[in-house]
Amino acid sequence: MKPPEERAAWLEGAPRFLFFTGKGGVGKTSLACASAVALADTGQRVLLVGTDPASNLDELLAVKLGGAPTAIPNCERLDALNINPVEAAQAYREKIISPMRGLLPETALRSMEEQLSGACTMEIAAFDEFSRLLGERASTAGYDHVVFDTAPTGHTLRLLALPKAWTGFFAANTSGATCLGPLAGLEKQRHIYEAALASLADAASTLVVIVSRAQSASLREAARAHGELDALGIRRQVLILNGLVQPASPGDAVADAFFARQEKALLGAVRFLSILPVHRVALRPHNLLGIETLRGLLGSTQSTPPPRVQPTSIGPIGEFSAPIPLLEKIASAGRGLILTMGKGGVGKTTIAAAVALWLSEKGHRVTLSTTDPASHLSDALEGNRCALTVSRIDPAVETAAYVEQVLAEQSGKLDAESHALLEEDLKSPCTEEIAVFRAFARTVAEAQEGFVVLDTAPTGHTLLLLDASLAYHTEINRKTHSAPEEVSQLLSRLRDPNFTHVLIVTLPEATPVHEAAALQEDLRRAGIEPAAWIVNQSFHRLPLHDPLLAERAHRELPYLKEVLHLAQGPACLIDWQVFEPIGAEALLKIFSPT
Amino acid sequence: MKTIQVFDPAMCCNTGVCGPEVDPILPQVAGFLSQLKERGVLVERFNLAQQPMAFAQNLAVRALLNDEGLEALPLFYIDGVLALKGRYPDHDLRAEWICAHVKTESSKEPLQS
Repeated sequence: MKPPEERAAWLEGAPRFLFFTGKGGVGKTSLACASAVALADTGQRVLLVGTDPASNLDELLAVKLGGAPTAIPNCERLDALNINPVEAAQAYREKIISPMRGLLPETALRSMEEQLSGACTMEIAAFDEFSRLLGERASTAGYDHVVFDTAPTGHTLRLLALPKAWTGFFAANTSGATCLGPLAGLEKQRHIYEAALASLADAASTLVVIVSRAQSASLREAARAHGELDALGIRRQVLILNGLVQPASPGDAVADAFFARQEKALLGAVRFLSILPVHRVALRPHNLLGIETLRGLLGSTQSTPPPRVQPTSIGPIGEFSAPIPLLEKIASAGRGLILTMGKGGVGKTTIAAAVALWLSEKGHRVTLSTTDPASHLSDALEGNRCALTVSRIDPAVETAAYVEQVLAEQSGKLDAESHALLEEDLKSPCTEEIAVFRAFARTVAEAQEGFVVLDTAPTGHTLLLLDASLAYHTEINRKTHSAPEEVSQLLSRLRDPNFTHVLIVTLPEATPVHEAAALQEDLRRAGIEPAAWIVNQSFHRLPLHDPLLAERAHRELPYLKEVLHLAQGPACLIDWQVFEPIGAEALLKIFSPT
Repeated sequence: MKTIQVFDPAMCCNTGVCGPEVDPILPQVAGFLSQLKERGVLVERFNLAQQPMAFAQNLAVRALLNDEGLEALPLFYIDGVLALKGRYPDHDLRAEWICAHVKTESSKEPLQS
């Protein structure tokens, strides 16, 4: 294996726009930040943009970011902002509603606000911000480079595909009776979307950096992202293999296994690895927080890692619960919904698959379902021998089915003209949100008669779904005609602790734990109390001699302690697995200590 | 009929497909208005969530909203005169409006409602 690089070679001749993409948890935010810092250190003026609703840019840069560029202390020429869909939607709402205060009655304002609170507004408002940065030269005129830390892959690709879909939508829309939802005035900005699209496809202005770990699922996802970007006409791409390990002291079983897993995964992806220019970055023992640490990552300056955490400053970390009693308790009801939630890349899919397998081995009827567009459930269940149903909420499939259903319901009630208008409105981006939401509600309802294990999409998207369910709840109560039972019952089902068990999954690292804490708060706001916390891929209990991995295990301690503090119910620890948890046997093993 | 103005309640879109369920009258009305437009009628449609300024600037609409609240919506004005309040026109009413207001020219097919 080639040794990791000492500097960021992918930044040589960097174009104006840089995107970092990859499966959740591969380190793309760290690499985007480190690249932005490295570019700024060479004298370029750089704007770093977070587009993730659950962005951890604030934590990495130690600055509170908002929607406008903020200067980053200790790094001249670097500014950063975060496109937060919730805040973008709020700003948009305020822009529409505030001029109406005093002119229209309070009830009218409330009704506007309610209508502008859906998931659709959020999606579109964030997209609008993103396109403006990309397509409107004046908005980034003061910068030589704009670095986007994009959201987890599925969402990123959707975001990137949107300008294309929309440009087509405008062109195909003839009657002007558009359902562009809350941003009806968007068409006026059409030239901005076209410019954004042109920028993306222009190799002289856009480079996409695909980040992957040397793990098979992560590499598969990277290959998929590469293919989709190619199909969108975005050709200039490089691949970074992040978090590579070289064993320092032979004989450490865990370090050897780590290395073997890495080499096996790389070997399996050898064809893909020959397609793109590949760069290598070594695993760091510490969390990449703060400008100096980020400089250290790409070796743009000699910096010392932060001092070792002293065990005395942590105190006893307390007790973790064994996972089996938790599962037995869940199983005792004979039916129910299990949701695994957390930041992208923490192993929600693996945990969901393992829980589903465990329940089905106990003789329960189990459906394992996913809303994650970047799901690899079928990979995780390779060679599954159990009678377990696996289904997937595929946005494209759900949307097509929903459109067909609506048109079928209305046929006979409409003349040709009205039918055509309805069909046109069904092409709007809102339709997908609704279709996916309905599929989610339907899947939840299935848990009436057995177990449903849902591997939900990464945090931000999950919240959008839940938020949609809240908004719908309000809307349904107001409407006279009845909504499907599964929709009207959704929220009360999610709130019932005897029916719904939310498992918050995290890694023993800063960002996943802090995002999970925020997620728990959001869930509580929605009236849902998590059933348990699960810390995945922990080195804490493993016998380690390798200095790098031992250092990592040691640095888990404050986060393990934090999880124990955060969890109201049981907190379980899942060890890092010597064999990648693929296939039924390896999946079931994760619940017993190594 | 020269103009028809519609003041809709706050909706995501005119056909209502963005709600949890489609009310068939919404696409019917959208189709009806589209036909009127083809016949040369000036159709103006305002959605409270998207064009609130139109509600605020029209004194009659504003007064109705203040007095009767959201129940007053939707509002239909034909040539500036209030024609319908608080509901969408059903099939019969749409036919009536066409008979009363729209001259069917011999060169064109009669309007369907």
